[in-house]
This record gives sequence, structure tokens and C-alpha cells, in this order.
Amino acid sequence: MTPNVSVLDGSLYFTISLIFVALSFMGYLVFLFIGNKAISKISFGFLITSFIIQTFAFIIRWIYAYKIGIDTPPLVDLYDSLVFFAYVIIFGFILLRIFYDFDALGFIITFVALLALVFASFSPMAVSAIEPTIPALQSYWLLYHIIALFLSYGAFAASFGLGILYLIKSGKESKPALTQPAQNGGGQQIKIKKQSKFLSLLPPPKIIEEAIYKVIVFGVVFLTAGIAIGAAWADSAWGGYWSWDPKETWSLITWLTYMLFIHARLTKGWGGKKMAWIAVIGFAVVIFCYLGVDLIIPGLHSYATPGSNPIL
Amino acid sequence: MKMFSKLNNFFSSVKLAIFLFIAIAAIAMIGTFINQGNTINQYKKIFGPAAYHILYRLGFLNIYDSWYFIGLAALLIVNLVFASANIFPQTLKAVFGPFPSFKETLDKKTPKGVFETLESKKTAEEIKKNLNLKFGKPFVKKQGDNGGSTELYYSKNSVFRFSPFIAHLSVIIIIVGVLLNFKYGFRSYTNIKVGEKTNVSYLLKNQKPVKLPFVIRLDKYQTKYYPDRIPKAYISTISIIKNHVTVLTKNMEVNHPVTYDGITIYQASYGHYKPTKVIVRILSLNLKNPAYRKYINAAIGKSYPAGVGGISFSFIPYKHPKKGRLPFYLNIIKNDKKNAVKKVRFHILPDKNLKEPMIFAKYKHMVFLYTGIAQVKTYYYSGMEISKNKYVSLVWIGCIILIVSMFFAFFFNQAQTWVRLTEAEGGKKTIIEIISVPKKKFESFYKRFNKNIADIKKELGG
Ligand code: HEM
Repeated sequence: MTPNVSVLDGSLYFTISLIFVALSFMGYLVFLFIGNKAISKISFGFLITSFIIQTFAFIIRWIYAYKIGIDTPPLVDLYDSLVFFAYVIIFGFILLRIFYDFDALGFIITFVALLALVFASFSPMAVSAIEPTIPALQSYWLLYHIIALFLSYGAFAASFGLGILYLIKSGKESKPALTQPAQNGGGQQIKIKKQSKFLSLLPPPKIIEEAIYKVIVFGVVFLTAGIAIGAAWADSAWGGYWSWDPKETWSLITWLTYMLFIHARLTKGWGGKKMAWIAVIGFAVVIFCYLGVDLIIPGLHSYATPGSNPIL
Repeated sequence: MKMFSKLNNFFSSVKLAIFLFIAIAAIAMIGTFINQGNTINQYKKIFGPAAYHILYRLGFLNIYDSWYFIGLAALLIVNLVFASANIFPQTLKAVFGPFPSFKETLDKKTPKGVFETLESKKTAEEIKKNLNLKFGKPFVKKQGDNGGSTELYYSKNSVFRFSPFIAHLSVIIIIVGVLLNFKYGFRSYTNIKVGEKTNVSYLLKNQKPVKLPFVIRLDKYQTKYYPDRIPKAYISTISIIKNHVTVLTKNMEVNHPVTYDGITIYQASYGHYKPTKVIVRILSLNLKNPAYRKYINAAIGKSYPAGVGGISFSFIPYKHPKKGRLPFYLNIIKNDKKNAVKKVRFHILPDKNLKEPMIFAKYKHMVFLYTGIAQVKTYYYSGMEISKNKYVSLVWIGCIILIVSMFFAFFFNQAQTWVRLTEAEGGKKTIIEIISVPKKKFESFYKRFNKNIADIKKELGG
């Protein structure tokens, strides 16, 4: 009996990992409402399991690609890029979870990862078969380019989740604070009698705020590196380091959005809430740059047309 | 003076920076929704002539070269230069001093700072040891002027205060590099047939020719395939000829350009021109003499002697070839009378026994049997992008510095700590006052500060 292609190329394992991510997402959702710590631990367990399965799947997939004569890693088409995106944000959350106590973030991260995996597995646009790499993409620059960008996308996804948590937390807390005399200044010290389970699970806004900054600047470093590597690659493959291709342009717009975030902090009046909004909007720009550009504007980088030929 | 300070405030303000980030992003966005670099006719078709004129006037059709886009980039440089010039003295002072005294810092009441007072029965010297464990080596020791008190100054990560300054400098380097390339470099393309050479290339933006300082010859072109016919590599072998001497012969592939004399040549596309030479294979038979048979390879348009009957023939392509017919006919020329010509068309006779139909033309007792195409000669060409990016290394240097300096700017929070130790109750007690000011107002900083204070309290025993 010869094994099915989906076993050989690892795509079956990605689909299996999807089930674990889905379980994890449901667990985190339940956790939000009942706040049972055990549930969040189980959800985290599911997530770790899915991460291990995905790691395994990537290794199998790379070996398989190598066997069928493709010597660059399978990261270039929409399917691969989506599963890699899910992988990176799960990895990021696992790290964040180890260093901070951010269980409440779980449901957003698993939701984004789940969306990416579902899109990869079931959308007709994402094809799991490994296609030979066309000449333009046969470069190790590509590997570093994609890894750097996806690390940054992952960080921005996390900052998006944190931004939403911040908005929920500060939105709910600032209302009762108006009726109380704010003697003790810092928002997090205000005790609210009827605080929902969910809110009480969230870390204080100031901690979320710091986490947003740290996660975003991590993303910005990798975004900058990713764009620079892309430019270096274009310089060695296309004839110019920058051609105002829509994807390039949108990556610059994304970069400027986060530069705005970094600098807006320095001016008075751009407090936590505005920053949280920039984190949320920034991620919308990232998603547009990553998927929207391909769906709406064709260019050198199109993921949306499988097997499309960027330059020839 | 006042005027200058106003201008300085404006050009160094972060508000201007924010405006520029938004403006540049917005213009760049417009450029992705309106296709850049189409021809005028294409634009007129897409938008209609009236809208085309408006868009043209606004510079939206070539937005990244527009004066306002470049103007914004220039303004960004000005903004960066002013901001850096203003940050620099502050940074120098924060790193090398002179540092403000304890009292000055206390009076300033920076909102970021934290203040704590402790008491201990230990002497100042002993306390110093405990503090040094927590805050590192004191940067400056000085005897306070109000007698009896010692002041200590600690600074953590202070060198990294330079990182934002260096980050801004690197952005200036990048933009300057880009603008220099824009002014002194070019991007162009040219197609070269296999075996031919050229020293002219055409600018991508306006198709104007540029003369290269050398000649490029395409020696060979080859496409390599994966087993399932998907292209694996496009390889051109090119030679660079300078002053009639071949100075370089190299294979050029996608991702592996050839650089010579500061000019880089890239494999960009390939293709072939329409077949210009077809050679057909003909079997000439003589019905009167069955033993006579002769294969002739005949190029289209040329005339050949038939060998018998005193005639020559040629194949002429039809101007409007019809379906189900060969695209050329036989032109018979009598050798003695040049003008007596006769057009003979080929018949196609389906043959049940043979797979291929029989194709023949008959003239008197001669039969010309068409046996297929012997050779189709097409000309491959290689499309090359030829560009000159002399200042590109500035861009790379800037990028590397930017990434490294960002890393240090983001992940190292500088903290300054002032400590004043004052003897009280005739030397029995020491009052310890601590002010700590972080560069970035992080919750983690305050947590760590509180923990340090708690530890010190414990160690000093109340
Ligand atoms: C366009 C690219 C720019 C980049 C890549 C950049 C980068 C940076 C970085 C990495 C920091 C440190 C932020 C932190 O530690 O959180 C910073 C701070 C700063 N930036 Fe920029 N910046 C840019 C443009 C500008 C412009 C146009 C201005 C004009 C006012 C500006 C003004 C400042 C100021 C005042 C600081 C604070 C400096 C300090 O804390 O010592 N930046 N910038």
C-alpha cells in the first residue's frame, strides 16, 4: 500500500493540528466565561500538542520537497505561507505565555491561528500540493525574507490581541472610575465591585500597554529586517531593490504605521487607548498587506494565483 | 533668534514626523490603487479622458516620482536632521554628564520618576555596598554641599541612549542613498537575439534609449525544465565586449545577475521571434521515370532546380492561408522563360492506411510529395534588465545600522538613579533617599524598583 500524498507531504498533519487548535480555541473561550484555571491549562496543552504536530509536519514537508527535487524550502505559496503564519503566532503565544501570565490572550491568538489554518486547508485558493519553485524564487534570500516577515506578522497578531484586551479592559474600567473620586491615580488600583470574571482575569492595563509596546517593537525589528532582506533579494534577482510593487508599497505602509506607533508615544496626549487602537489598526494593515494585496492588486508577489510566474 | 527657535521647534517636532508618516503612507496607498506606468491610451480607456486629465494633473499616474512625494521624503530628512540635532546634546549629557544633583532631580519632579526614603542604623559606607549590589557601580560619587551627606549616581544602559540617534542617522543614510540612486542611476531593459550584440538599452520609465559603456553579446540561451516541464532555470550566456575585446563571458540566471563596471545585468525574460525560416522536405518524383526520386530541402521563398523537365520551383506562402490547406503553394518557373510561372496548389489526400494524409502537388509528369518540415529556425532572445545602482551600498549600510540600533533602542531601557545618604541623630542613623527615573515608563521598571527597595530594606534590617 502506498501512502497517500497528504501523508507524504505533511498536509494531513496540518489538518490534524487544526483540530487541536480548534479544541484549544474552544477551551480558551469557555475559560473566558468561567475563569477555571484548569481549563486554560488544558487549552494550552492542546496548543502545545498542535505546535508539536506542526513542527513534525514542517519537517516531513521539507524532506518531501527535497526528495521530489525542490531544493528550496516549501514556503512560497499561499498554503505554505498560511500554515507557517499559524505556526509562528502559536509559537509567539507559547513564548508570551511562558513569560507573562496572559491566558486571556489565548482565545484571540488561537482564533487567528485557526482562521489561517482553516483558510489553508479548505479554501480552493490554497493548494497543499508542493509545486516546483520557479527560478525567481530559488534563492535563500527567500527563506530569510519569509521567516523575518512572518515573525513580525506573528508579533503584530499578538499586539492586535493585546490591543483588544486593553480596549476591553480600559473601556469597562474607565466608566465606573468617573463616578468615584480618582484619589489613587493609577487606573489599575480602582476596585470595581461587580467586575466580570473575564475582566478580572485580564492583567492591569499598564501591563498590557507595556506588552503591546514590546511585542510591537519586536515585530518592527523583524519587519524592517524582512523588508531589507526583500530589497536585497530584489536587487540580486530583479534589477532593482525597490520597484513600488503593491506588496512592497504596502509593507512600507505597514512599517510607517508602526513607526507612527513608536513616535506617537513620545507626544503628549497619545495615551494607552490611542496606542491600543494603533495596534489594532496596524494589524488590519498587516493583513491587507499579507492577503488583501494579493486578492485585490496583482503584482510580483501574488500568492493568490497558484503557480503564477512573478517575472517570466 | 525667536524666529529660529520657532522654526527649530517646527522642524524637529514629533508632530511633523507623525504628519509625514501619515502623508507618505497615504500617497503610497493611492499609488497601489491606480496602476502606475501604463500608457496614456490605457489610462484614457480605464478612466475616460476627463478623469485621466485630472489624475494626470495631480501626478497620480506617476506618483512615486512626483514632486510632492519626493518633497515629503526631503522634508522627512529635514525633520530627522533637526530632531537628531536636538536630541544629541541631551543624549550626550545623559551619557557623559554633567549629571544633575539629587536636589535638582527631586525638584524637577519628573512624572516618570519614583522616590523612596529609607532609614538604617548602618553607616553610609556599609549601605553603599548594599546599594551597589542592586544598582551597579555608582557612576559618580560626590560629597554633598550641605555637609554630612553623600550623593551617589547610578546609571544603567546609558550608552544605549545613543541608539535612537543612530537609528535616525541610518534612516538619513538610506534616504540619501535612495535619492542619489534616483538621480544618478537608471533601470532599463533590452532584448538581445542569440548571437547578436547591442550597447543600447531602454529606460523602464519612458523607453528612452541609454548608451551603455560596453557591448553585450548573447552567446547562448537555454531553458532548463523540471521533469514535468515546469521551468527550472533560464540561463543566458553573455559576453561583455569593451573596445572590441571580450572582457567577460558568464552565465546569467534569474537570481544570479552579472555585474560589470558598476552596471548589473539581470535575466528578466526570454522569448522567440516568429519563425523566419522554415525548411520543407520534398520528395520529387518523375512519373515517366519511376526510378527517379530526389529529396530536396527547400527553404520557403527560395527557388530550386527540379532536376528534370527544365524547371525550377519555389514555395511561396499564401497571403491569406485557408484552413485545411498548406500555408504555401508551389511556384513553377520554366528555366528558359523566366516570366512563365504557374501556381500549383498542394492537394491533401486522406489515406486510410497511413496515419498522415498524403500531400502532393502535380505539375505535368512531375509530382512533389510534401514529407514534412525539415527545420524551423526561430530566434531566441533574452530579455535583460540593465541597471545602475551605484549608491545601493549606502542603502544596505543604512539598513544594517538601522536594524541593530533599533534593537538596542527598543530592548534596553535606560535608568538613572540618584541616592542621597544623610547622617542623622549624630551618626546613629542614616537616611537613605532614592530617586529612580527610567527612560521608558514601563510597569516592569517600577516592579523591579519596588522589589529592589524591598530587598534593600530587608538587608539593612529596618
Ligand atoms: C522614518 C524613520 C524613523 C525611524 C526608523 C525612527 C526610529 C526611531 C527609534 C527606533 C526610536 C527609539 C524609540 C524607542 O526607544 O521606543 C526613535 C525615537 C525618537 N524619534 Fe524617531 N525614527 C524615525 C523618524 C523620526 C522623525 C522624522 C522624527 C522627527 C521628529 C523622530 C523623532 C524621534 C524622537 C524625538 C525620538 C525619541 C528619542 C529619544 O528617546 O531619545 N523620528 N525613533
